[in-house]
Amino acid sequence: MNPVAAALGAAFALAGSGAIAALPAPARWGPAVVGAATAGVGIAGAAAGGAAVSGTVWQAYLPDLLPLAGVRLAVDPLAGWFLLLVGGVAAVVGVYTIGYLGRDGHGPAARGALAVLPVFVAAMLLVPAAGSVSTFLLAWELMAVTSLLLVLGEHRHSPAVRTAGLWYAAMTQAGFVTVLLGLTRLAAAAGGESFAAIRAAGAGLSPVTAGGVFLLCLAGFASKAGAVPLHPWLPRAHAEAPSHVSALMSAAMVKLGVYGIVRVGFDLLGGGARWWWLLLGALGAVSALYGILQAAVATDLKRLLAFSTSENVGLILLGLAAAGVWAGAGQDGVAGVALAAALLHAANHAGFKTLLFCGAGSVLRSTGTRDLDALGGLSRRMPATTALFTVGALCAAALPPGNGFVSEWLLLQALLHQAPQAGTVLTVAAPVAVAVVALTAGVGVATYVKVLGTGFLARPRGDGAATAVESPRSMLVAMGLAAAACAGLAIVPVVAAPALERIAGELRAGPELFAGGGVDLRLAGIGSIVSPLWVAVGVIGLAVGFAAAGRALGRARRRAPAWDCGDGPLTARMEYTATSFAEPLQRVFDDVLAPEQDVDVTPAAESAYIVRAVAYRRRLPDRIEAHLYGPVIAAADAVGRAGRRLANGSVHRYLAYMLAALVAVLVAGVIR
Amino acid sequence: MTDQLLDLACGLLLLTAVGVLWRRELSALITLLTVQGAALTCIAVLLAVEHRHAETLFVAAVVGILKIGVLPWLLRRVLARIPEARETAPLVNIAASMLAAAALTLLAYTAARPLVDLAPSPTARAAPVGFAVVLIGFFLAATRRRAVSQIVGVLLVDNGIAAVAFLATGGVPLVVELGVSADLLLAVLVLQVLTTRLRAVFGGTDLDDLRELHD
Repeated sequence: MNPVAAALGAAFALAGSGAIAALPAPARWGPAVVGAATAGVGIAGAAAGGAAVSGTVWQAYLPDLLPLAGVRLAVDPLAGWFLLLVGGVAAVVGVYTIGYLGRDGHGPAARGALAVLPVFVAAMLLVPAAGSVSTFLLAWELMAVTSLLLVLGEHRHSPAVRTAGLWYAAMTQAGFVTVLLGLTRLAAAAGGESFAAIRAAGAGLSPVTAGGVFLLCLAGFASKAGAVPLHPWLPRAHAEAPSHVSALMSAAMVKLGVYGIVRVGFDLLGGGARWWWLLLGALGAVSALYGILQAAVATDLKRLLAFSTSENVGLILLGLAAAGVWAGAGQDGVAGVALAAALLHAANHAGFKTLLFCGAGSVLRSTGTRDLDALGGLSRRMPATTALFTVGALCAAALPPGNGFVSEWLLLQALLHQAPQAGTVLTVAAPVAVAVVALTAGVGVATYVKVLGTGFLARPRGDGAATAVESPRSMLVAMGLAAAACAGLAIVPVVAAPALERIAGELRAGPELFAGGGVDLRLAGIGSIVSPLWVAVGVIGLAVGFAAAGRALGRARRRAPAWDCGDGPLTARMEYTATSFAEPLQRVFDDVLAPEQDVDVTPAAESAYIVRAVAYRRRLPDRIEAHLYGPVIAAADAVGRAGRRLANGSVHRYLAYMLAALVAVLVAGVIR
Repeated sequence: MTDQLLDLACGLLLLTAVGVLWRRELSALITLLTVQGAALTCIAVLLAVEHRHAETLFVAAVVGILKIGVLPWLLRRVLARIPEARETAPLVNIAASMLAAAALTLLAYTAARPLVDLAPSPTARAAPVGFAVVLIGFFLAATRRRAVSQIVGVLLVDNGIAAVAFLATGGVPLVVELGVSADLLLAVLVLQVLTTRLRAVFGGTDLDDLRELHD
């Protein structure tokens, strides 16, 4: 039996039995049952993905499973990469769920919400495994609906969850409609709905049809991926969902939007015009910059991580755009590197974002707050969580020896090595893209320094942080697994090289990307080499060396009170908060972010010159959301209000409308 | 022989629809609806016999149980609980309703011509009857005040749709029919609850009372 088939079958069977077992399970055991089932589904999915990326392909047609179209599954290396990614994330999150929702746990323990979790993971595995338009759309919708149910898990606790759910529902359904329109149009134009048939006919489509299909699909997929300006659901849903769900959504589900773009753009449509990819590149650049800027000034830990997801998706899209442009310009070698950079960054982001969201969940579970301004001092009370979160932050900041560094290095290589004959547009676009990546990386470092410094170090600024306790073992084990995966990807990314080469070869028939063995990453077409292992050894060695040298050669340590201007002992309120740390950045990007600030100075009664209290309020509204979505929502609201006049509450009137419409249609048919 | 029986059943279908529009007693409406259900079942059975198709026969059995047995029984239970036995003041009076029914039937026949032309067979030629029943059902629901009349109207619409499906395609897949039937049963149950609650709140089942709920 085909290993992919066996593993996928096991995954779906486990998901079904896990969901069914969760319903009657006693409340004490529910989280353990669901967590174990989810982890099992994830491991089986990852096994299927692992088999697929090492060259096993599998196809199946099950005509009786669904009426009309049946179910068609096809797993190739590209699908395998995303199966591996989703499966890996789910395996970690499954283990995490056991502790997160378990005894004295945080988050929804309702049976329904529990039972949906393995189904959601199974739906995410089904998306890349789908081999036809109808199966893909079914899986996509199943994924959207189950994730919406999970986002709404804590709807009883706060109205913000309901708003988030509403935004997510509206945007995911709108995205589904555009993908539906695009893919059905594609299937109609190609004369068949299986991906194989579309692939065969894809090159012969007219440019207008192909461009329209690409735009429609891009709208839906980019909104699922959280690319700016289709992102407003993402910071809301990621922040308000229970943390294990946030991790699954941010690390795995968002990547399936990327998968959709790769599958439709590169595979089914076979490349396409240059403007497609320039548009995608612009989308990626805007997402990367806007995402990281919003993250840099965010004070809500999970909202910050969510905007960082937008940023990373932007970088991934930038890589895909570069791949599309270079492939169209005939530079298959560089295109392959860009594609590999995008896919590797997708995997890297999945790794560190799982870790970070799980870490944020641990913080939320033990302190009860996500507000960085009210945290601090966790490194003493939650040392293991802090250490693991630090690993994730290092990776997310794209600093060596983190894994984000490797893929961003690859991306920069792909952007820098353009052929001289590329043309004016590209000679301008490529350096701009390089600048975007550089700026993003810089602000990213500041962002994660802020998170670690104000959230975990120093002294606690709130009651929740002051009484925090370390998380249960299963959560730490899960975060440890994610950290280990990140470390593996950071030090020996070369293990992914054969899989990336296979995918690039399948999509572009490009040449060999990576030359030679060993632990170095050698780019065959470009001639660049990076050795993540030696970089890691060097950086860690230098850091340890400097610390040791400082301790040995520097002056001896002494304890002394810090200078406090003679105004009594320093309190935690005098520390840098997340808001104050980000203030300089906010000042620099004032025109982009347009913060609303308000300083109230209350003088003492005796004299106007003696200040009794200063109140500082700052709000950072999402400008893109306000300017782009505000008018649309207002217009829809106005239409809705006008429409209410038609509905006066009389049932007869409604029925008469239906009768009149039916008769009008029939009469129109007769007259024509 | 089969063709003649089929025509007879279709005629009965239309006649009962018009009869529902004509009679005012709510219990008579239910009787007519039962007869119409029997006619629809006949159509399904005849088609199954003609095509020698076991699945259609099964569908016919389901339709029969639902339309002759379950739905009339549910409706009579509703009727037993409410005091009004007559449709006293319909929004359009009976004579005008008859004229409207005639016009709707005419429209159904002209509008369905392209459908008949697709596959001119004796069964397809009877399909406009189904359209007429759909339109009459809608008309009934839109012009009657009592909740029971409206349920009957909705059921007429469904009977019409089912008749068109049977006549135009020569049998509906089991899955589709099961789905439709389940839907219908649910709708009737909802309306039954609604009627009971209406009576409890307003003391009558005039649906125009619902307007008070509109802000």
